[in-house]
Amino acid sequence: MDPMLVLQLLLGGLQNGALYALTAAGFALIFGATKVFHVAHGAAFTLAGYVFIYAWNAGWHAAIGVAAALAVAVLFGIGMERFVYRPIQRHEGSFFTVFVAAFGVSIVVQNLVGMVAGRGFASVDSSLSQGVEVLPELFLAPVFWVAIGTAILLFVALTLFLSRTHAGVALRALAQNPDLLRAYGLSSSRLSILAFALGSALVAPPAVLMAMTIGLNEAIGNHVMLLSMAATMVGGIGSLRGAAVAGVLLGVAESLVLLVLDTQWAEAASFLVLFGFILFRPTGLFGVVAAK
Amino acid sequence: MTAIRIGRRGLLGSALALPFIRGAAAQGSEAYVLGTLFPLSGPNGEYGTVFTAGAQLALQHIEQDRMLKRPIRLQAEDTQALPQQAVVGMNKLVNVDHANWVLVGFTAVSKAVAPIGDRSKTIMVNGGAVGPDLSGLSPYFWNVIPLAHLETRALLPYLVGQKGVKRIALVYVDDPLGDAILGILRDELPKAGGQLVGSFSVPRTAQQFGPVAARVRQVRPDAVYIASFGAQQSQIIKGLRDNGVSQLLCSYSAMNLDSVRNLPESNGLIFTGQKMDFEGGDELTRRFAQDFQKAHGKAPTIYNANYYNGTRLFALLAQEIEKANGQVTGDSLRETLLRIRKFPLVGGIGEFDEHGNMMAAIEVKEFRDGQAHHLAG
Repeated sequence: MDPMLVLQLLLGGLQNGALYALTAAGFALIFGATKVFHVAHGAAFTLAGYVFIYAWNAGWHAAIGVAAALAVAVLFGIGMERFVYRPIQRHEGSFFTVFVAAFGVSIVVQNLVGMVAGRGFASVDSSLSQGVEVLPELFLAPVFWVAIGTAILLFVALTLFLSRTHAGVALRALAQNPDLLRAYGLSSSRLSILAFALGSALVAPPAVLMAMTIGLNEAIGNHVMLLSMAATMVGGIGSLRGAAVAGVLLGVAESLVLLVLDTQWAEAASFLVLFGFILFRPTGLFGVVAAK
Repeated sequence: MTAIRIGRRGLLGSALALPFIRGAAAQGSEAYVLGTLFPLSGPNGEYGTVFTAGAQLALQHIEQDRMLKRPIRLQAEDTQALPQQAVVGMNKLVNVDHANWVLVGFTAVSKAVAPIGDRSKTIMVNGGAVGPDLSGLSPYFWNVIPLAHLETRALLPYLVGQKGVKRIALVYVDDPLGDAILGILRDELPKAGGQLVGSFSVPRTAQQFGPVAARVRQVRPDAVYIASFGAQQSQIIKGLRDNGVSQLLCSYSAMNLDSVRNLPESNGLIFTGQKMDFEGGDELTRRFAQDFQKAHGKAPTIYNANYYNGTRLFALLAQEIEKANGQVTGDSLRETLLRIRKFPLVGGIGEFDEHGNMMAAIEVKEFRDGQAHHLAG
């Protein structure tokens, strides 16, 4: 086995895994805190990515493009919480109704993006994504360091927020015991909005970076959502740390699998890992067994 | 009393007969139904927009020229380029809309719907898919696009002879089209003096091609042939280029899309397609190109022309049948096609063989600075 190929695939997997980890962590944060199965999380990703592409093509500074992508993702998340999930939960709030509503919104977003931005491939042409040969047979693009750095920075910031601030601690409390939270006079609805805002914000950086690396199409949200769900399950339902680690694991798995299997199996590797966990460790990496 | 009873009976009878009377009166103006089975959403939605634009322009011209006694109604069904959705759409077109003519695209979709059209004797015309086994799929399935084996036959001698390419790696989508191209390259490349040094299949849903690029580099090809379609083909090009694959990229007619042409990484990509001169051709071709430019603000592509031709062919055949006071059915359309064989279409006279395949010249092109330039053929 060629060691440079192993290293190339490992580094490529880490880059993708870092982006999956951020997306999955957003989904896990929302699901863990609110218990809403936010299938439209992929739509937030799509919107953020396309807003960045629009800003880039309009000649705006990249930082403004990132800020715009972030703002749109956050507004979409908050909008979903306020105008879709909350009205449903006010009446009956069954899992199925929430799921179908979110799925419907995803389809609407997908079609709107297609109508406005055009159907087909869209990307930004940036030197950040162009790999250079750093060692013989080892190509690395600057975006690798951006992806890894952004993921580390955001996870450190998120961990500090959840452990050191009142709002963060309250969010964790909402995930564990919402009734007790209300008994202490805290507003679960405000915290729910915060969870959606934070969780949706986490999709903006991977959306921007993927617009540079693999490019987008209006249906990419479905793919992102599948990976986020797989990572959430592998990491342990509700565990932010688990989702992040699982995201990296899935990214590395779908890359390294090419060492032994045909390229056809790259995507399937993520789901093989998922099936493995469902069979042998259903609670995931950091999940806890719930007492019945 | 009797008079009243007769009046009631008459009234009741008239009411019951009314739908039939209206139907009989309207039969002369009842619209022909032109069904389309294109991807209108999803990662291949761009093709649906392109295909439909060609068909719509043909409908406009057919109406302006008063070619038919009855109008044509366009009934679009979204396939997302997936066989399952296409079968649902085709069943609806055949059983509910009673389509006279169905335009299709994509190899997997075409193969999925062909048995339904065959059973119902509904003519299906493909202007976008190039899987070689689409020839002779059904007596009612015709192609107005040259199929992949004709494209690669034009490309391989050029690559080997003119570009000195000996070693080709193939990245292909796991789909009937991709499998067909793999088979063609395996058979034809050694005959042309080349060698298939690696073949890398990717699922239709794959988005990441960095790892694939690493594997492609390992086989040290002189050129990489890409056999995919839709958003994925742009992703493959970008994935290969961003991850150190600097060798020549080549492909087939599916690359002739704006999203690929405008991709900086596509610069230098060599691909095949039908040869068509939109500027110096006959009057019909020039009218098509000018009206398309007027309507869309850009020059037409081969796909626009193919679906224009696919739609116009229906009008030409139905016109012949109407002149002979015949019924426009799948059988009468087929009989007319096989009898006439040659039709004035965009690009010149389109000639069909006994399987309903239109013969066309192929050219080799290259994307340079966002434009397709003629290389050979």
